[in-house]
Amino acid sequence: MGGMLTPGRYLPAVCLLFLVVLPRLLPNPFYVHIAIMMAVFAALGGAWNIIGGYGGQLSLGHAAFFGTGAYASTLLVNAYGISPWITLWIGGLAALALSIPVGIICFRLQGAYFAIATIGLAEALRLLVLHFREITNGAQGLTVPFKGDAPWHFQFGSKLPYYYLALAMAVAVVLIVRRMERGRLGHYLVAIGQNQDAAEALGINSSRAKAKALALSAFLTGVAGVFYAQYTYVIHPDSVFSLGLSIQIALVAIVGGVGTTLGPVLGAVILEFFIQFTQIAFAGQYPGLELMVYGGLLVAVILWRPRGVIPWFARLYEGLVARLPAARGAQA
Amino acid sequence: MDLTTILQATLTGILMAGIYALVAVGLTLIFGVVRIVNFAQGEFVMLGMYVAFWLWKLWRIDPYLSLLITMPLLFLFGVLVQHFLFRPILHAPDLAQIFMTVGLSVVLMNAALFFFTADFRSVKPVYSEWTLRYLGITLGVPRLFAFLGALILAGLLALFLLKTDLGKALRAVAQDREVCMLLGINPERMYLLAVGLGTALAGAAGCLIVPFFYVFPTVGVVFVLVAFVVVILGTLGSIQGALLAALVVGVAESLGILFAGADLGLVVVFGILVATLILKPAGLMGAQ
Amino acid sequence: MTALPLLEVEGLAKRFGGVQAVLDLSFQVREGEILGIIGPNGSGKTTTFNLITGVYRPDRGRVRFAGHDITAHRSYEVCGRGICRTFQIAKPFRDLTVLRNVLIGTLLRHPDPVAAEIRAHEILKTVGLEGRARMVAGSLTTIDQRRLEVARALGTGPRLLLLDETMAGLTPTETEEAIRLIASLRSQGLTVVVVEHVMRAIMSLSDRIVVLDQGTKIADGTPAEISSDPRVIQAYLGVEYRRA
Repeated sequence: MGGMLTPGRYLPAVCLLFLVVLPRLLPNPFYVHIAIMMAVFAALGGAWNIIGGYGGQLSLGHAAFFGTGAYASTLLVNAYGISPWITLWIGGLAALALSIPVGIICFRLQGAYFAIATIGLAEALRLLVLHFREITNGAQGLTVPFKGDAPWHFQFGSKLPYYYLALAMAVAVVLIVRRMERGRLGHYLVAIGQNQDAAEALGINSSRAKAKALALSAFLTGVAGVFYAQYTYVIHPDSVFSLGLSIQIALVAIVGGVGTTLGPVLGAVILEFFIQFTQIAFAGQYPGLELMVYGGLLVAVILWRPRGVIPWFARLYEGLVARLPAARGAQA
Repeated sequence: MDLTTILQATLTGILMAGIYALVAVGLTLIFGVVRIVNFAQGEFVMLGMYVAFWLWKLWRIDPYLSLLITMPLLFLFGVLVQHFLFRPILHAPDLAQIFMTVGLSVVLMNAALFFFTADFRSVKPVYSEWTLRYLGITLGVPRLFAFLGALILAGLLALFLLKTDLGKALRAVAQDREVCMLLGINPERMYLLAVGLGTALAGAAGCLIVPFFYVFPTVGVVFVLVAFVVVILGTLGSIQGALLAALVVGVAESLGILFAGADLGLVVVFGILVATLILKPAGLMGAQ
Repeated sequence: MTALPLLEVEGLAKRFGGVQAVLDLSFQVREGEILGIIGPNGSGKTTTFNLITGVYRPDRGRVRFAGHDITAHRSYEVCGRGICRTFQIAKPFRDLTVLRNVLIGTLLRHPDPVAAEIRAHEILKTVGLEGRARMVAGSLTTIDQRRLEVARALGTGPRLLLLDETMAGLTPTETEEAIRLIASLRSQGLTVVVVEHVMRAIMSLSDRIVVLDQGTKIADGTPAEISSDPRVIQAYLGVEYRRA
């Protein structure tokens, strides 16, 4: 075939290169922090998308998986001194395990009722974590024991290593989602979303497909939760199990493009920009103002584009790919 | 843990159930007619509470009296919400509807935070500490009044839906939109009515509980979650179901608080949701 | 011809509220034949399909396929066993391309998407939709949507195909095409059960016909036999041949 360097191939590579170099270009660690949060939310949005976008099941309780990962890992690190590199996967598995009963219960509902059930379960989990304070330290939360610059303990002196890990996580999620999208599960999820009866008549076990999607989504979300715990050193029920977080995760995917691989990346960037902007503009002076604007913007976007912001990003990207030059390698 | 305590908790639960019923019926009314699941229903309760609070603070108007102001006010608010926010998304995908009402909920909650601050407010009319004592059971008078108020409102709603032409038209639209248009019923007006009523009921619930509940911006979240469990347990779209389910949920929550602790009341409510979905997903009124 | 029928329906019954949709229904389908099911409106034809394919659970009775009892099995299990059906009101995956619609069917027996896509193309050729592979399913004409329904079902590699009123509303030419297509499926080794109102089509296609009325079987035989059966004529009292 020769070396056809199509924009479809090199554009993502160029972007990735830029992202790798990015921290060197940023003036101070605060900006790196923002970039890290963008990467984390890109990963979270991408993970949510598996069940929310492709699976068509709008979960507003994903914080439950995030928090489970964060707490599972931090509890193990504190209690047994296990390296977070290991508890990273345990946290993911804990979230995956949680997703099984959640799916069994919640998949009996559709649409908004499914969403409400997920909110309920996440809230119930948050309350339980608050309640059993002998184990979880209740509202005070848990801290990761500070070890300074200790890579084996997943702690680093500067923000850079965290950035690259977060970036790796986001890229991994994008690749995983792409793989899923092109495989059998991806097709089956879309079919179920289009018409579940027709899908089942074609041999698709919709419960099993949704459960798989939820499990994968939960696992990745849990891993992100562990990263977050290690990065911020402190977690409480109200920060990692909150409804606000769940809404934010879903929003990332929705704003950027439900059911697309790169949508959540865009969504994370836009959302994080917006959050930082409002925080700076209002300098925390007026409690509630920024979220009010946030919510107002959400309502406005829905009124303006009820069918979602998805199409324009995809079209934009495709337009760009079409206009960029392709480089030909050795001709056959 | 003796029988009297359990009976006490049960009765308290029944009294609270009246309030849950109001909120849930409002929710089910909106869903039944307009087919939108209103995440902001709890915030409508919160609005009702704040209206009652300010009427009390500024002009010493008794909360039960302020029902006469709160309900029409919130009815109007509901009409505006339906006209400007819900109408454009009536046929939009689930996603849009969910996030519209979620967005509305966030806006209302934070508007309250911004304008009224996070301070816990309370309304203490003269009867707020009165209790009724009988056979070792103590019931708060405000809770009793709230329950009676809820009962009266539910009764009025029933009369409206069953006996008046407008009410019947509303039920008809909930059943079959297209046929109604053929019969000359204007669905648009019915939507406005339904959302207005649903909002007014939530606001009324807020008014009724203000004498014994603190008022703060996020107070609505619990109500919407409980209302949803009630609606699901009572079968989507069924008003009788919602009433029955409210009773179950109210009592269960109260007993849950008694046995498990005050902070786990909501967990118990979700336990009911889980049990419903596993054992009888179609709800109490649903076919198997 | 093997002794064991491919599909055996025995004593099926189903009630919906006050309506007895199907009552004590029994018939067999032999491998390689085309069986027609006819009956006036409301006689329970689609319900029968729904009972066989697990959309509804029968109140009584058994369904056996290739010797296995599949009564009340879920739709996807039934499909996995080798029975696939089309829907009376077509249910295409509207926003997806024609190719992807069929691909989702072929993924059942070809989990690898690449192989599944190849197979999907083959099937599209069989039904004559190859040229429309990249079209969005929701924008197809009625006849093409029917073709798509059949193509999707074929994708799952069934031994038995249940076609529910595939020919409703087709022009005479289109009906001819449909008849040819269904006949060709039989020659590929498929067994087909066809529910139809279009008399001409079903009479010419079917090896045998089962006649339903009010949820119960009133006749079972060759087209010639049932067309002269007085009970059948009475059930269709006054109803002329639908213009094919």
